[in-house]
Amino acid sequence: MSDKFALIIEDEEDLATIFSEALKAAGFETEIIYDGAVAERRLREVCPAIVVLDLNLPHVDGNQLLHQIRTDPRLDNTRVLVATADAGMADMLSDEADLILLKPISFVQLRTMAERMGLTMS
Amino acid sequence: MGLISRFINVPSADPDDARRRKLLSFLLSILGGLLILTLIYILYVDMTGAEDPEPIKSLFFASTAVLGGIVLLFIINRYGPGWLASLLFVLLLTFAIVFTSEPRLLLGEYMFYLTIPIVMASMLVRPWASYVIASLNTLFLALAARQTQVVLPLPGVLGFYLLALVSWLTTQTMERALHDLRDLNIQLERRVQERTIALASANQELIMANERLEELDKLKSRFLSIVSHELRTPLSAIQGFAEMLQNEVYGALSPKQHNALNRIIANDERLLNLVNDLLDQARIEAGQLSLVNAPFPLQGLISDMESTMRVLVEAKKLYLRIHVADAVPTTLYGDQKRLQQILVNLVNNALKFTQQGGVDIHFYRPDEAHWAIDVVDTGPGIPKEAQGFIFDPFRQIDSSSTREHKGFGLGLAIVKQLTTLMGGTVTVISEVGQGSTFTVILPLIAPQREK
Repeated sequence: MSDKFALIIEDEEDLATIFSEALKAAGFETEIIYDGAVAERRLREVCPAIVVLDLNLPHVDGNQLLHQIRTDPRLDNTRVLVATADAGMADMLSDEADLILLKPISFVQLRTMAERMGLTMS
Repeated sequence: MGLISRFINVPSADPDDARRRKLLSFLLSILGGLLILTLIYILYVDMTGAEDPEPIKSLFFASTAVLGGIVLLFIINRYGPGWLASLLFVLLLTFAIVFTSEPRLLLGEYMFYLTIPIVMASMLVRPWASYVIASLNTLFLALAARQTQVVLPLPGVLGFYLLALVSWLTTQTMERALHDLRDLNIQLERRVQERTIALASANQELIMANERLEELDKLKSRFLSIVSHELRTPLSAIQGFAEMLQNEVYGALSPKQHNALNRIIANDERLLNLVNDLLDQARIEAGQLSLVNAPFPLQGLISDMESTMRVLVEAKKLYLRIHVADAVPTTLYGDQKRLQQILVNLVNNALKFTQQGGVDIHFYRPDEAHWAIDVVDTGPGIPKEAQGFIFDPFRQIDSSSTREHKGFGLGLAIVKQLTTLMGGTVTVISEVGQGSTFTVILPLIAPQREK
């Protein structure tokens, strides 16, 4: 997989598009997954540099996916950006996630962060 | 004491009956006791050897017989009909007096003894029984007078009836009074019971009403939180796409298009803030909001607030001046996001109502243990009567100002609730035409004391 591959796991289509566009603008190749169960399978196949993860997902929730990423040695270098509207939840996950983004997430904000990450990764 | 009263008391459903039986038991017990003492005395005299044993022997048998009678009466009184025992007792007493005295004495000095059963009949049998015994006594007196061939002593007979009248009146009155008292007691008890039931049902209603209110309150909080979440997603999407357009992700834009987009973004932001306020309000009310404390630079708090407010300040041509006292530490400890919210809400509120002049923000230390923020504006001021409720959710001073200033009345409520959550206070000093000063005082927590 490419060094510049980002996986976006978000069930809201519009928000997923915005995240995807922001990451594309930062120079990433992107793939969008709308369903937790699909994401669970896909994460066994690919090795993304960045995962933008929504916590409220159908079938398998974001917490579970975060745990899966963190226990898979193959994904050691994957940066996880958790997107949530819940500040309390954000605080709880601050150890496991690389970055917590409090919704609403601005396009510019995400693009800037992804650019910064892309630089430190290479 | 308990043993004696249990011995004398006779349980009965009728309180009058119980009282009469108790009195009879008492009298019989005393008489029985006296008789037993007499018997002991007789036995003692007999044993020490009296000169003439015959009268003592007859006295012994008589006493034993009377004692047996008393025991029998006692048993009837306790287990049989009370009126029978009482009547027998009174009659036996009368007969004892009549048949143990000579007719001559009965008409003379012994006549007095005959008054005892008259009084007792009223108290033991029925109030009117005194007349029966008085008549019986009269009969005996007549017989005695005939035997001794003297004239029936009319004053004595009159005395009997007079006494019968007095004891009838006395016991009758007493029984009536007791009866009234019992009625009153029953009535009182019933009334107390009724009141207790009424109170209990009122209490139950209150509890149910309270439960309904609590449920409604929860429903309101849940409704708010769901609606807010549902609103946030499309608003975020609008913001994201507008930003993308603004950043010319989808191609170049004309200045007019940029201007229109800026308006879209500004309005969307306002809506988002409103929804955030609603969500915070719902969280605070549901007790779900918790503080995330960490060290943070004061300068960060100030510059974030300034960048948020810049557009509004410039648009209204107001000033926004920051004053930081030396005593305030450069690094503070607390929930930066929530402190930011407090500050932005206060400043936003101050700017919203101010048309001329501007806003001064003072950071200072009122004492060793606290730090404080004063937000001073040159706005219209807040009337005294409104100052009491400006911190209540969903209220604004008058509804016309809602239209004029596009306010929602949640900002100050959130400030109040957040400062309270942080262990601080928020107060306002204002006079109409003189502007307002909002003061937030917060406890100063040393960062090294926490993790």
